[in-house]
Order: sequence, then structure tokens, then C-alpha cells
Amino acid sequence: MRHTIKEIYKYREMIFSLVRKDLRGRYKGSVLGFLWTFINPLLQLLVYNMVFSMILRNNIEKFYLYLFVALIPWMFFSASLTGGAVSVISQKDLIKKIYFPREVIPISYVTSCFVNMLLSFIVVIIVVVASGVTPTILGLLCLPIIMVVEYLLAMGIAMIVSALTVYLRDLEHILGIISMAWMYATPICYSADMCPEKYRFLFNLNPMTAIVGAYRAVLYEGGVPDLSTLLVSVALGIVFLFVGFVVFGKLQKNFAEEL
Amino acid sequence: MSDVVEKPVVAISVKDVTKKFKVYYDKGTSLKERALFWKRNRHEDRTVLNGISLEIPQGQAVGLIGHNGCGKSTLLKLITRILYPDSGSVEVKGRVSSLLELGAGFHPDLSGRENIYTNASIFGLSKEEIDRRLNDIIEFSELGDFIDNPVRTYSSGMYMRLAFSVAINVDADVLLVDEILAVGDTNFQTKCFSKMQEIKASGTTIVIVSHSLSQIEQICDRSIWIHGGVIKGDGAPVDVHNNYMEFMLKQRQNNVSLAQMTEEVMRLMKDKENTTNALKSGMTEEQRDSVQAGNDLRWGSKEIEITKVTVTDGSGKESKFIDVGDAIHFKVDYKVNTPMRDIVFGIGIYRKDGLNIYGTNTMLEGYDRYYVSEDGSYEIDMPEYCLIPGRYIVGFSIEYGQGIPVDYWKTAVEIETFSKIADVGTVRLKHTWVMPENAQIDEADDEDSGSEV
Repeated sequence: MRHTIKEIYKYREMIFSLVRKDLRGRYKGSVLGFLWTFINPLLQLLVYNMVFSMILRNNIEKFYLYLFVALIPWMFFSASLTGGAVSVISQKDLIKKIYFPREVIPISYVTSCFVNMLLSFIVVIIVVVASGVTPTILGLLCLPIIMVVEYLLAMGIAMIVSALTVYLRDLEHILGIISMAWMYATPICYSADMCPEKYRFLFNLNPMTAIVGAYRAVLYEGGVPDLSTLLVSVALGIVFLFVGFVVFGKLQKNFAEEL
Repeated sequence: MSDVVEKPVVAISVKDVTKKFKVYYDKGTSLKERALFWKRNRHEDRTVLNGISLEIPQGQAVGLIGHNGCGKSTLLKLITRILYPDSGSVEVKGRVSSLLELGAGFHPDLSGRENIYTNASIFGLSKEEIDRRLNDIIEFSELGDFIDNPVRTYSSGMYMRLAFSVAINVDADVLLVDEILAVGDTNFQTKCFSKMQEIKASGTTIVIVSHSLSQIEQICDRSIWIHGGVIKGDGAPVDVHNNYMEFMLKQRQNNVSLAQMTEEVMRLMKDKENTTNALKSGMTEEQRDSVQAGNDLRWGSKEIEITKVTVTDGSGKESKFIDVGDAIHFKVDYKVNTPMRDIVFGIGIYRKDGLNIYGTNTMLEGYDRYYVSEDGSYEIDMPEYCLIPGRYIVGFSIEYGQGIPVDYWKTAVEIETFSKIADVGTVRLKHTWVMPENAQIDEADDEDSGSEV
């Protein structure tokens, strides 16, 4: 494990260069190019907002903001889950022909999604300020911690699914559904207390619930995230990452043969 | 290299490595197939490497040889850690650079310079390390100003040159090479070759997988021959290669996996510049020198041996002096050591300086292939032997299949042609003259006009 981490550090330039290539290539050939990084979340917000404030009405104040600050982090997470799953398969030519720590691939994929989320947060901050919410300094200081926790969690999960998908290609399609179900199991389009009391325990097992709650606490309520739930998320993030590393390390040995 | 004498530091240590591949009869990778047809998931284990152990000291250059599918590439992949052994261990000290895949991660839309960064990063170089090597890489690639153009605008030669330049400038402690020295034009190949020598001299451990025995002989100190997943020979390249060649030729006799062997032996022969093409393309410089020195050029596996060549002129008299335009007849006697199928007979005529004047064989002319089981002879009759006066070497060949030499005797006989006409060139083409009707014969120079026959 220690050795692997050391080696990944040695290959950091490869991670940077893969991330750079991915970000540059993402909107290549489109007229608006990199602007899509900002337009895409705004359009998504528009759609969800129309559905939930016109048709499925609820009585949450400033619902668009309530939704937006949760939706952007979720989009990052869901991209890491579904896209991360195929990240290893899509680099099979590289894996079959050349040695490098295989962890580099899911790490750089998730990192590129993460950088994309950070860029989207420029839009998020603008929307937050425009809506009249003023986050506290302490809250804003917590924001990077929340992001890092989500990053670790997403990375751990991407590692597990990317390695499993090599052996079980169906996972790629199953994950589309899982990602959708997971989204509705997380209080993104609704508030956590709308969940029936008897399922509350299960509901809170979802690590994304705490993370979304933390984002909201800072950006929607203008407060500070609940310390105990944040700590639980930190622990969960580390556990997932650790499990991800172990699973990936075990499964990666046969990558070249399976691909 | 110097510390090798003291106490060799082991750079690569392979201990008792076994590698099996699963060959599925009908493989299902999807969940449905795995769940429904789990019984169908039967497979066969194919052992590619069977308990191989070897140690390569630091600074040594080693060649891995063996026929296709013998496991040499698998061994190389185990050393790079692309594959992992089923049992046993592989240990490698230091940074490994593998020239197994050139241009890994190249992006067509990025410039050559940007791609250097991407590609080098895959070898585990940090940005500073790449910065330091950037000029060397660009210079070595000979791309000049093209370096800032997108890679998609490159010719395939430029692409490979850039890729090779990056891979070879990584400054690895261990360099693994799989058949790469066929990059670019002859000049660039020569450059790559001397770079390899340079890398070797700097103390880098090199492992090369190649079908080109001569390349291995030029670079390596040691050759390891892998056969059927075990080491069959290990030692000085020349010794190992001789055994290997001999073995491959014998193997063919036994008709083991014929197509594969044929291909393999073909390559070997090509490598030694002894293919059937020699018939068609003249002699190499080396051969020419050797012919001029009066040496015999003959090779082959000798299941069938040419014993005697008889040359007769138009009058049926045995002679090696032929009047230009006279008939010539060759009779080639052979003896059979081992009966062979699929036999092709050939002839090649060379001028004394090595120029190939003519070459053909029964396969090229569409004759049937022969099964030869008893001593016998074949004959070639040429009604008009029209080579201009001079000395010629005539060679004969007995080949197997697609040009595998059984007995290839390039310098079988020497023939001299003579004529009273001192015409020039190589061949006297059949011709007649029509003289101007309205001109008179110049009586004064009557003797000279006699040369116009």
C-alpha cells in the first residue's frame, strides 16, 4: 500500500497530463467550447427548477438555490460513478502495452471531474450571492473540506467500480440505474425530513446525504455544517478510499489479460 | 559495467515463474452469460512459462529469442509488470522503461512538444525531468520546426521517430525492448542503433526480444533461448544462436506446427540475408567479397545435397567455356539424406562482381512441387546462352516450401563465355541489322566493317 502510494506520487505528472488532456478534449469541436462547463449546470438547474416549482410543487424557500447547491456536487459524484466505471476499459490499449500504476487512471478521471466541479462552483457562488444568501467565513472555510471528503469518496467508489467493470462489463449499464436510484435516495430534489421516520436510519447510511447536507448548510442556510455528520463523512470517505485501493490493487493484476 | 566485475548487482531477478493463460471455450463476460451459462465457463489453462528462473546483472544486455508463442514476450511483460506471474516472483531494481508500445497516449490534436510531455509522463517522469530532456528528445527526433505542429499532421515516420525519441531518452535503469529497431528510414535506424550502444555503455540493463538474431548479436552480451516455457539455452549470443538455428531447421523436418516454423525459419533466413530473394537480388557486399576471394557460398539444412553439376555446350561436350549464343545445358545431381516434400529447384547466374543476371526456380515458373525421396538429378537447358564475354558464376538451389534452403549452393560452377565480337553490356540481345540501301561500302575501311555481324 505504502509502495503503491509512493509510486502514484512518482507518476503525478501522468495524472496531471491525463487530467489536462481530458479537460481540453471534453468540449473539443463544440462552438461554445469550455463555456459548456458553466452552461451545462445552468441548463440542468433550469429543467429541474421548472419541474419542481411548477409541476411537483413544494414549499421550500428559494428552491432553485436549494437544488443547485446540491445538484452540482451530485453531478460530480454521479459522473465519477458512471464514467469512472469505464475509465479503465477505455484506456485498455495503454494498459495492455505499458506499465504504470493502474490507479492513475481512475484517479485522473475523478480528478478531472473534480476540477470540472470546481469550475462550476464559480457559477454556484454567483447564484448564491445573487440570491441574497451570505455564507459565513467559517462556513466557507469548511467548504474545501467538504469538497475533499466528497472527492475521496468518489475516488474510492470509482476505483471499485472501474476495476469490477473490467471483469463484468454489464456493470457499466447497471450503474446508470444505480446512479439514478442513488440520486433519489439522496435529498437533492427534496429535503431530508421528507423521508419517513422508519427509513431514516437507512437513509442516513448514504454518505452522500451528509455531504449534500453539508453543502446546503454552508451555501443555502449560510451556516456551518454539523460537525458530527461531517466527521462521519470524513471517516466514510477514508474508508471508501481505503477499500477502493485494496480492491483495485487485488483486481488490477489481471487487467492486461482481461481487457 | 565496471562494478560488474567486483560483485554483480542483480537488476532483474526472475524466480521460478509460472504463467498460465486461461483459454475459454466460450467466454461470457456479461452478468447474464455468467449467471445463466456458468457451466459453459469451462476453460483450459495454457502454460506459457513453466518455472523460469534467471538473473540479469546490472548493465548486461540480454536478448530473448525463441519461436512465436514460446513465451518470450510474456516474460518481457512480466518483467515490466504488465502481467503478473501465477507463481514465483519477478523483481526489478530501478526505473523501467519499456519500448513495447511506442507513442503511448499520443493525442493527435496536440503538438509534438505537448505530446512529449504526455508520453514521457506515462514513463513516470516528473515535469522537471521532462523539461531537462526536452531538447535532447526534439533533437534526436530530427523533427525541427515540426515539433510545434499537431501530431496528426505528421507522417508515420515522423510519428514513430518522435515516439522512439521519448522512449529512449527516459534514462531508465532497465530498458525493455520488443522488436522496435524497425523505426524510420535507414539513417534513423542506424542512429537508434548507436543510441542503444550508448545506453548500454552507460550501464543500463537492456532486455531485447527480437527475431533478428544479428541485432541481438550486435548489442547483447548474452542470449537466452526460450522454448516451450522453459529456458533451453543461455550464454554467448553466437553459441546460443547457432544451436537455435540448428534446432529450428531440425524441427522443421519433424513437421511440427509446420506453418509456424516455416514463417519462423523464413525470418531467420531473411535475417541472415540468405533468403530465396538472394537469387533475385544479387549478392550482398559481404558475399561479393567472398566470391571474389574465391570462397564457396553454400548453406541449407542438407536433407538433400547437390553432389555434382555438369555443364555441357551445344555440341554435347562437357565444357565451362561457352561461345556467346551457343546452347548450354546444366545437369544437377543430388543425393537424398532424408526424403522431403514440397521441393523447388532453382538456378541463379551472377556476374563475377556480384550482379545478379538471372534467377528463377520451378515455383516461380509454376511447376508442381516435388516429393523427393531418392537420389536423382534435374536439368536446365538454355538454347542460347547470350551473356557477353566474361566470367560468370552459376548457383543452384534446392528449396523447401516458400523458400527455405535445403541446399543453396550459390557458387556451384564458374562459366566463361567468349566471342570474337567485343560488344558491351551484360546480355547480347538477339538482333539483326538493316544497312542503308543508298550508301556504298567504304572499300578503304573494309577490315573495320567486319565487326558488324
